[in-house]
Amino acid sequence: MLININQASHRPIYLQIVDEVRRAIAVGTLQAEDSLPSVRQTAVDLRINPNTVQQAYRELEREGIVHVRRGRGTFVTGLRDSADERKELARSLAITALQEAQRHGFNLDELIDALRLEAAGGSTREDQS
Amino acid sequence: MISELHNPLAGAAAVSTSALCKRYGTQIALDCLDLNVPEGAVYILVGPNGAGKTTLLRTLLDLCRADSGQAQLFGLSSTQDGPAVRSQIGYVPDSPDLSFTDYKVGELLRHHSVYFPQWDSDYAKRLTTSLEVNLDSRCSTLSKGQVRRVQLVQALAHRPALLLLDEPTDGLDPLVRDRVMGLVAEHLDTSPTTVLISTHLVHEVEGLGDHLGVLRNGRLIAQLERSELDRRLLVARGEVSDGWDLAPPFPVLSHTHRGREHAWTLWTDGQPIEDRLAATGITVRSVESLTLEGATRALLAMETSS
Repeated sequence: MLININQASHRPIYLQIVDEVRRAIAVGTLQAEDSLPSVRQTAVDLRINPNTVQQAYRELEREGIVHVRRGRGTFVTGLRDSADERKELARSLAITALQEAQRHGFNLDELIDALRLEAAGGSTREDQS
Repeated sequence: MISELHNPLAGAAAVSTSALCKRYGTQIALDCLDLNVPEGAVYILVGPNGAGKTTLLRTLLDLCRADSGQAQLFGLSSTQDGPAVRSQIGYVPDSPDLSFTDYKVGELLRHHSVYFPQWDSDYAKRLTTSLEVNLDSRCSTLSKGQVRRVQLVQALAHRPALLLLDEPTDGLDPLVRDRVMGLVAEHLDTSPTTVLISTHLVHEVEGLGDHLGVLRNGRLIAQLERSELDRRLLVARGEVSDGWDLAPPFPVLSHTHRGREHAWTLWTDGQPIEDRLAATGITVRSVESLTLEGATRALLAMETSS
């Protein structure tokens, strides 16, 4: 898997890595018993402190999403229901959307209405087609 | 002045100075400086030109003597145990200059390696390849960027317990800068080490740094763990109604507003702040941590205004 982070983001880097692994599992890029990239590889690829990668992997381990096999690496755990994983991912998307909506002064209903309208393709905006 | 910006840092110190002072004539370079770099830290030292960063690093190496105060490295005195201290340090100096020698790069590295019993020639070879260092070039003919690359090999290849990097990417093109950061990341994983990086380009070390020291006019105006910064130094954005004349219930490092919209940089207690801001009449839109670069800017701005 390719881990993608934004160093200019306000979200701590280790949480961005956790998000990325979650995303990869939810969409099926990472499957049970697949190994995560090594700490060193990830640190070098992203130009980040190896401790940050370790912190992310520890967090994933604590949540039961991955497990460590000593001397062999970090592997995706098969036990977790992928429906749970999708729910968790949806939740983090929802948090982002809510925060943005709040920043722009919209309440939940207004956000939901806008989402529904957009998803139905029925926005009143004049498309350039 | 917020005294908590100088939290004692946890763990054994790789580098600590106490009341380190240095003047050049009437110019104060280091003003009673208490630096504290814990073992294993990647400590980012920032500050404007002339803040004292280079003098500080040179003092640690005993390349320059403080007027008063002390510096200890791994419990050794910088002045009395100079050779023992320096044998444990990899140093990239502020000036990319090797014009003093007529050696070829390969000869210079061989000469340099003799001083360091732990010199890892395989690693040196990998570094020279990775940084595209030409061993047959004459040192005196190298460009600034090429000298930097040689200096990085010199600093890293003996896997020292402490790396002192003074503007390590100065003079390098963006591609090589990026590669250097990759090499440092790898080095951190393969060699147990403490790193002190002085830099203006904080965004380059955004992912590497876990401690921040902000130097201004020879004084450390802040010295903090990254996790502490993330937790406590926050930017709150929100709106207030006309005539609002309260203030957030936290020390304010900076405050800007355009019309009703305000942004405060706050030193908080680390507990959720939204409700407490709302209680003063602020409609909070967002609360966010700062990047290392943003934190640096905020801390430097604070000192000017107070």
